[in-house]
Amino acid sequence: MACGWCSLSSPESETPAGRGPWQLLVEPPVLFTAIGLLVLAVIWGATLNLAAKEHAAAHSTAASLATDVADTYEAQVVRALREIDHVLKLVRYELIDRPGDAAASDVLENLAEQDLLLPPLLFTVSVLDDTGRVVASTNGEAEPVDAAFAELLERARSADSLVIGQPRREGEDGEWRLRFARAVANGDGVDSGAVVISVHAGYFVSGYEPAALGDEGVLGLLGTDGVFRVRRTGDALSAGTAIDSGALIAEESMSKDSAEVQVNAWDEVRRYTIARKLFEFPLAIVVGLSEEEQLAPAERLETIYMWRAVAASAVVLIVVALLGFMSWRLHQARARVLAERIAHAERVEYLAFHDNLTDLPNRAFFSHLLGREMQQARRHGRSLALLFLDLDRFKNINDSLGHEAGDELLQEMARRLAGSVRESDVVARLGGDEFVVLLPEIATRGQVVPVAEKVLEAVARPMTLVGQEFRVTVSIGVAVFPGDGEDEQTLMKNADVAMYHAKSRGKNNYQIYSEELSTDSLERLALESSLRNALERGELRLFYQAKRNMADNSLTGMEVLLHWQHPELGLIPPREFIDLAEETGLIIPIGRWVLSTACRQNVAWQEEGFPPLSMAVNLSTRQFIDEGLLEDIKRALKDTGMAPSLLEVEVSESMVMRELDRTIRILGEMKQMGIRVAIEDFGTGYSSLSTLQQFPFDAIKIDRSFVRDAVRSAENGDLTDAIIAIGRQLSRTVVADGVETEEQFAFLRSHLCDEFQGGYGDEPMAAEDWAKIMRRDADGTAQDPPTS
Amino acid sequence: MASILRSLAAAGFGILLIVATAAGAADVVVVVSSESPVNSLSRAELADAYLGRVVRLPSGEPLLPLDQAESSAAYERFYENYLGRSPAQIKAHWSRLIFTGRGRPPPSLRDVETLADRIAATPNAIGYMDADRVGDGLRVVQLE
Repeated sequence: MACGWCSLSSPESETPAGRGPWQLLVEPPVLFTAIGLLVLAVIWGATLNLAAKEHAAAHSTAASLATDVADTYEAQVVRALREIDHVLKLVRYELIDRPGDAAASDVLENLAEQDLLLPPLLFTVSVLDDTGRVVASTNGEAEPVDAAFAELLERARSADSLVIGQPRREGEDGEWRLRFARAVANGDGVDSGAVVISVHAGYFVSGYEPAALGDEGVLGLLGTDGVFRVRRTGDALSAGTAIDSGALIAEESMSKDSAEVQVNAWDEVRRYTIARKLFEFPLAIVVGLSEEEQLAPAERLETIYMWRAVAASAVVLIVVALLGFMSWRLHQARARVLAERIAHAERVEYLAFHDNLTDLPNRAFFSHLLGREMQQARRHGRSLALLFLDLDRFKNINDSLGHEAGDELLQEMARRLAGSVRESDVVARLGGDEFVVLLPEIATRGQVVPVAEKVLEAVARPMTLVGQEFRVTVSIGVAVFPGDGEDEQTLMKNADVAMYHAKSRGKNNYQIYSEELSTDSLERLALESSLRNALERGELRLFYQAKRNMADNSLTGMEVLLHWQHPELGLIPPREFIDLAEETGLIIPIGRWVLSTACRQNVAWQEEGFPPLSMAVNLSTRQFIDEGLLEDIKRALKDTGMAPSLLEVEVSESMVMRELDRTIRILGEMKQMGIRVAIEDFGTGYSSLSTLQQFPFDAIKIDRSFVRDAVRSAENGDLTDAIIAIGRQLSRTVVADGVETEEQFAFLRSHLCDEFQGGYGDEPMAAEDWAKIMRRDADGTAQDPPTS
Repeated sequence: MASILRSLAAAGFGILLIVATAAGAADVVVVVSSESPVNSLSRAELADAYLGRVVRLPSGEPLLPLDQAESSAAYERFYENYLGRSPAQIKAHWSRLIFTGRGRPPPSLRDVETLADRIAATPNAIGYMDADRVGDGLRVVQLE
């Protein structure tokens, strides 16, 4: 039900789908991710670009460095070779036409003295004869004949140019040496000798600069025969390795060569390599820069760039993540606030349409539901039933046990009602102790009967309130749509009428609406309006009923009874309009009138010479809790001059149990004033004896139901006997109400009841008639009760 | 240059003692012509002269270093004791200077007599030899 109602008014929620794609772009998650990705792209783009540029720059630097080194090296090698060749030619020149070993030694000695030879520290100049034997040498010691010299001599003879021998290890330390030779033309030249210069091979690579070439560079002289004459990498010197020189030396690219990275065949190292054949000599220079070494700084730089990019990316990711997280939190917070608002709104709406005590739909919501169901029923040609419920004697319970107990009772009733109807049926609380049940789909009026009976039975089940077991009942009025009303107002009114009818039928039953009931109800309405005028029009009248002593039948006092002399309806007894007076509040002025009228009458009778008699006036609940009660009593006594001891107020048991402290105070003040207090309907309430004992009251009145039942069965008799015994035990006057038969009278007298009133004695009578009674009583002594 | 030499001399006092002792044992001494203006020489100046760097005399003339044959006994002792270098290092040093065209090694005399004669005849020359070969016209230079 509640959900159905909520759905009627669920708020329009904002839908993201309603926005444009551009607005989606500025949604925080999308925006942050996009910015983050953009920044990452910029960072990595710049980094990779920079790294590529560094790499390219390092590459080109290495290549041009290799070219520079090659140029320098080439020049140095060419100069060194020319110098050697020059000395060879010089010695050859000096030897021409000077045969003989001694001449050769002289020549070398002279040239050395003239400093025309090369420094002997590195260079050794030797002269070979036509057999390949060393005949003179700057070395001083004659070198041994070896096959290498012979082979060199052979080559020198056949080529009219500088010839270069294979590298050889010589001496104690096994250093690599190179030999350069030229033939000495001796006549026909066939059997000529040769001049040889032997030089430490390391000389040709002593220009190796670690600053430029690193530890993995290479400098070398490669013979055109493919044999390395000398090669140096770092401090390591080697020679004699044969390689495929054709692959290394590109013939065409002699001048415009550029350094290409290639894997050097001799040591498998990648180098920027330049190999250049020398123009005048059968040699090529080889220069190489290790790619790894040359690019290392650039690679270190690239690594630094990469790490920076990684760090920057991490920062960006963290920032984006933080922003995302904060945005998410914000979103969450907003969503929570929104959810709270919606929940609050739903709660407010719920409260507005539900009774907060029982959680049932309230009058407004029920009205809405009823309207809807009637519409449905009308559309489909169906009937629906409206059950109007009013708890019986709820006011009594509420008055005697307090509001909290009353609330608990209502909640329990709400649960029982909801439990005794179907899910599709509607139970609502209209306020107070009024409930309604709506049966939305019935085929015949008869279908209501089992439901109503089920409800009656459910309500009547005993329940425990403030530690005591109770049984409450309910009166149900039923109206059926559309037969008993086509609109909500009529339907409700007719159900109400039927309910009142059930009340008047003794409560704890159900009545289905009919035309006749409606007529009764109209009377009630008329009654209500005319009661308002009854006081002014003097339509209220007091009747007096005698109270007599049970033992001697003497007159002990009277009870004042209020009747309404209706101009059209005739005399109306109090039980038919006192409730109405209570409801409308008219009871206060009426009560005031009753008090003063009764007192005035009492005084009048005394003035006429009758003996003073006690006069009992009933107080209703409303009167008893009224703040002005004591004032009203005082004023009535003062205005009429009646002795307070003659006034007796009758209060019901349920009234005094309402607010114990207040009751005790009020009763105490009455006592002080000298007024007597009687508890009526004794035994019908729920009060405990211990509580009753606290009240300063003078008499108890046994309810007429106990008097009536006393003679019907032994058990009832015992109960009545017990009540009398209690009164006597409490030293109170015990008065039996409603004694109608002799049997009852006899029972009461035998059980030592003090006084009685009722039809067996005197019927209530008007003041004029009352005077006759008193006169008769005054004439005779105690009058015997009339026999029926 | 002078200040560097002085400071080197000051710092190297202890080393000089060791060098002097070694020289005494090997008996290789540094000599000049008795007419040479050179009276004393620092170790650093000596090294400079024999490694190809020009050392000028007070007159402005360059000091002319003369060498013995590589195969002589005095050669190795001289370079190791006075310059602290092995013959191989000296060879590599000159190899690089000659190849790159930046210098020439001191003229190497055939034998110690020739060396003695040349020094005696050349006032701005300097040389070394076993102490017992120091003859007339030569003077032993004190190294600071």
